[in-house]
Amino acid sequence: MAEITAAIDETGANKLLDTVIALIPPQSASGSDNLGPFLASYSVTASLVNGDVDLIPPDIIRLEELRLNWSLSLSIGIDLSDILPDFCLPQVCVNIPCVGRVCTPRICIDWPTITVPVSFSDFVKADADFRLQTSLVSGNWEARAIIVGVPNLQFGLTTAALLAAIGLALTPILLAIPFIGPFLAIAANTILAAIGIAGLTGLLGPILTPFISGMQIPIYDQPRVFPVLPAQGAVDPQVDILIDAIAASVANSDGEDELVLTADISA
Amino acid sequence: MSLTEAQEVFASVHEDALNDLITAFCTDRPRYLVYGSPSFVPVTTVSATAIPAIPFPGVPGGINWRIVLGIPQIDLFDQDNALPPELSMGPGQFSGQIEVELCIDCRRLQIDPKDPRPFDPRRGHKPSDDRPRDPDRDERDHPLSELTCFKLRVFLLGHLQRVIAMGGEDAVALVVDQVEIVDIEPDGLESFLECLLFMVLQAALAEIRLPLRALRAGAFQLIPVVGPLIEDDQIKMRGNV
Repeated sequence: MAEITAAIDETGANKLLDTVIALIPPQSASGSDNLGPFLASYSVTASLVNGDVDLIPPDIIRLEELRLNWSLSLSIGIDLSDILPDFCLPQVCVNIPCVGRVCTPRICIDWPTITVPVSFSDFVKADADFRLQTSLVSGNWEARAIIVGVPNLQFGLTTAALLAAIGLALTPILLAIPFIGPFLAIAANTILAAIGIAGLTGLLGPILTPFISGMQIPIYDQPRVFPVLPAQGAVDPQVDILIDAIAASVANSDGEDELVLTADISA
Repeated sequence: MSLTEAQEVFASVHEDALNDLITAFCTDRPRYLVYGSPSFVPVTTVSATAIPAIPFPGVPGGINWRIVLGIPQIDLFDQDNALPPELSMGPGQFSGQIEVELCIDCRRLQIDPKDPRPFDPRRGHKPSDDRPRDPDRDERDHPLSELTCFKLRVFLLGHLQRVIAMGGEDAVALVVDQVEIVDIEPDGLESFLECLLFMVLQAALAEIRLPLRALRAGAFQLIPVVGPLIEDDQIKMRGNV
């Protein structure tokens, strides 16, 4: 029999993980990647919100609808020459009395490369399984729930909304380009179609997945030399015990699943 | 039944771990086991607690004494350790065994040949140094000072009480309900010693306040709703996050 046993049911585990996950600081990443046929640089900040806890014997904590709140700043580089047809004003010649024949030069519009900044915040959800693991690290006993595998992010309507946000950001930038008037709709539609839902999930998936796939939830973290009482003056020094072993599991008794920690101690 | 039953969090500590915690307390703070008046313990240190001598008219400085307690060994209900027939452990109780050593600084007093003075409790009497001495008699009689000690094994019954440890933490303390010393005669002497040790052990064990946090080795937050209870050789608590 374990010397010390602590157990928490699913309701308690939900509250515990609410607190623990809320304490995980926001994570951020930046870089550049392909967004459809375009290159986009990005910076993203993400924070986690606990889902519903399902304890599964012997050692799994399942978080259903674990939510990742993210805030993305995108900068999309688009070379309009790749999208729009070449546009040239033809040479025009006129005969002017006493002057002779005068011709204008042939003028071709060189479509510029534009940069489209987009800021967007939303969330994704995922179901994830975490396996319990205990270890003694640098004099501390730790019990952690470590994610099993790579979760599948549920983007839902997020990508369509982001595509609309890109469209909104694109329009004023295109309007500022000379001679683009007749091509405005073509350019916008072509760009959005080129990016597409697949392009967005292709970008967002690899950016956001690591925030969850590397996730570890601290369940227990106490020093091996465990302080029972602090020092209380010159004649009452600190009282310590040694935690010799820690184990973590999920146990079922009478139909109730509980997260159970056990400890053995010595004086 | 599940461990948490109707609550969210459960914590239990087995009597082996409880004894480890008590041993740790007593090892790190031995003064809670050793009490002595000035000739034994002039001043309180980590090792021993100074207590006053027992005042008595004519005994200069009072009667010096010392009491040394062993580390108590606690058995939580259900009963595992044998007890004297006078003690019967019930649900919710613990029993304990503890070695106790009582010492007295036994001195031969020097009688003041001068006129007796009225007793002044503020000053006490002072011995005279000009008393005629009889060296032969001194050797035949009691030595001038002799440490006189005896040891007892004391059995006790008690229960837990929730208390506040220093710093405001929720804690438990051992409350002594009954003390038994086996086979001392006459019965009046046994009763006298049991009463003395009952008071001493109540006071001494009440100082060993073990935070609930330590009883669950720091695992999970627990606001107690049920307990601490003694059952199945454990202290059990249930509560919410």
